[in-house]
Amino acid sequence: MSPALLGLVTIVIGVGGCLGYFYFSNLFLDKVLFPASGPNAGRNINRANMIRPWLFLGPAILALGLYLGYPVFETLRLSLTDRTQDGAFVGLANYQQMFAEPKFWEAMRNNMLWLIVVPAASTAFGLLAAQLTDRIKWGSIAKSLIFMPMAISFVGASVIFKLVYDARPAGNEQIGILNAVWMQFDGGFGSLLFLKVAPVLILAVFAALVAYIGWLLLRPIVSGGDNILVKALRAISGLISLWIALVALRNILDVIGMDFPYGQPQSWLTVPFYNNFFLMVVLIWIQTGFAMVILSAALRGIPEETVEAAIVDGANPFQIFFKIKVPQIMPTIVVVWTTITLVVLKVFDIVFAMTNGQWETQVLANYMYDKLFRANDWGVGSASAIIIMLLVSPILIWNVVQARKEMR
Amino acid sequence: MADITTNTTQGPRGPKPKKTFSRANIFLYGTLIVVSMYYLLPLYVMIVTSLKGMPEIRMGNVFGPPMEVTFEPWVKAWAEACTGINCDGLSRGFGNSVRILVPSVLMSIVIASINGYALSNWKFKGSETFFTILIIGAFIPYQTMLYPIVIMLREIGLMGSIGGLVLVHTVFGMPILTLLFRNYFASVPEELFKAARVDGAGFWQIYFQIMIPMALPIFVVAIILQVTGIWNDFLFGVIYTKPATYPMTVQLNNIVNSVQGVKEYNVNMAATLLTGLVPLVIYFASGKLFVRGIAAGAVKG
Repeated sequence: MSPALLGLVTIVIGVGGCLGYFYFSNLFLDKVLFPASGPNAGRNINRANMIRPWLFLGPAILALGLYLGYPVFETLRLSLTDRTQDGAFVGLANYQQMFAEPKFWEAMRNNMLWLIVVPAASTAFGLLAAQLTDRIKWGSIAKSLIFMPMAISFVGASVIFKLVYDARPAGNEQIGILNAVWMQFDGGFGSLLFLKVAPVLILAVFAALVAYIGWLLLRPIVSGGDNILVKALRAISGLISLWIALVALRNILDVIGMDFPYGQPQSWLTVPFYNNFFLMVVLIWIQTGFAMVILSAALRGIPEETVEAAIVDGANPFQIFFKIKVPQIMPTIVVVWTTITLVVLKVFDIVFAMTNGQWETQVLANYMYDKLFRANDWGVGSASAIIIMLLVSPILIWNVVQARKEMR
Repeated sequence: MADITTNTTQGPRGPKPKKTFSRANIFLYGTLIVVSMYYLLPLYVMIVTSLKGMPEIRMGNVFGPPMEVTFEPWVKAWAEACTGINCDGLSRGFGNSVRILVPSVLMSIVIASINGYALSNWKFKGSETFFTILIIGAFIPYQTMLYPIVIMLREIGLMGSIGGLVLVHTVFGMPILTLLFRNYFASVPEELFKAARVDGAGFWQIYFQIMIPMALPIFVVAIILQVTGIWNDFLFGVIYTKPATYPMTVQLNNIVNSVQGVKEYNVNMAATLLTGLVPLVIYFASGKLFVRGIAAGAVKG
């Protein structure tokens, strides 16, 4: 039998088996176990209807319990045992060992960096693209092109960006896109404009924006009114924004003082710390399309009257955008933001395919893969999986609450 | 002075001046050009590079179109590129991906649609809890389940086989798909069921003759979600398969990252395009529904 035919037969058996189970178990319940006839017809119908949901959901519950529920607890259990001691219970020793590893803290730091940069940048670019493409004729073409990376796998995107960051020894023609552009800079006026003035401006705008957000967050604390929890949350997030703004300001000084190695091809992925951002660019490239389509739908849903009223009142385009449109689509922005945050916390493929965590680009998911399948240490590997789980759970709980609210 | 007054009384004449280079427009187009550079340049360079020969690539000129269009890299990526000791390119990975994709998509959709229908149809004790479990199952990171599933697959003898991966994809696709179907079926007016039931239709008749025809778009969304998700999956592929059963994404990664010999940029790019071909074709064929499918699947672990 040819493989194709064999495959077809397997599929028919698999799918037919599923359907057959549902059909015949239902038939069995109605005709044999509790027939809807004879002296007990009424009682039988009631009983059959009580059992039926479990009959239908039974296989799913079993499969989910076996492959989703049990593994979570098993991972928790494994994280408390040790492989070298034949699976003996060792309490929190794996966690202690993990917390003592610099590689783990490097992964933590990088994950936090990803967490700050990627959702923010994807949402911002997505919002920008949604707003701009709505106003031009060929906007829908631009939109479908920006969304295209969503169809390419993370691995495919990583391969593309490997070409972007590719470097060949000095003296050869550069094939990597970034190096081909980089070699154009020679320290003249153009370089000054693009590498000093432009980054400084971007950083300054970014710092101002973040500082402004921090100020908005901190201001209501003094005036009072909120309860203590909201105040604490405001204080923390406000101080974090101010800190980020300060870091950005410090980076401005760095950029001004930096001596760029003009004419030297750079192997971008091996520059510690900054290579993290080169990896983030890949995920931003992919996720912007997602943010854009969701936000674009939200922007279209804004009542026309609110915008018209603002125009009549003499608002400029920026005011209309930031003070009329953005507040109205804030719930959607939050959803997009949290969704991308979930993706970021679990980012694995990109790091695995591009650097494999070398040159200080490790992230938690790849750290876990290293421990589980390269070092064969399931104790520490499971412990890091639990850490990922803990990081995700606030959003998880928020999502569950949100979905249950929607259901009612 | 007199001229001006006559002009104003007669009103402005001639065509309205076009403000093509108003400040807003310069800002708009400037931003768009920068943004499109970031999003389109990589895609453009990928396509162009995949059509160039290696000597031409070595000459640099990254952004130029190919002087001589060649499909050799595509052939090589498909049939000859080496990963370790095997030199049969992506074709093997493609076959595996198809064999993984078709059964897992069909099974997960059949089970999920019936479950979603059952869940929206019957309010029973514990349905709330089941619903919550489904949501958690949809959002929970896969990392927490990877290793115990390795043990389980090893014990039932499916570790490294296509069947094992099909099983994993079917189960992990179920929570999000069931939610998708449940939410859709729940939005169908209840009178429809009641009318059908009064007319004497049973569970299956209602399902096949009323629900499925009505729910066709949601079936398409579910298929798109599963096909792109499973086709682009890397994590499960790299963990639960062995070289003979690697899906296409893993094969692509191995071709690109195999260290032997010179880097063949054109073959790598052709391989990327070939791997992305299935989702891309679906994307261009299905348009808006694709966006819905991706948006529905964006949250899953």
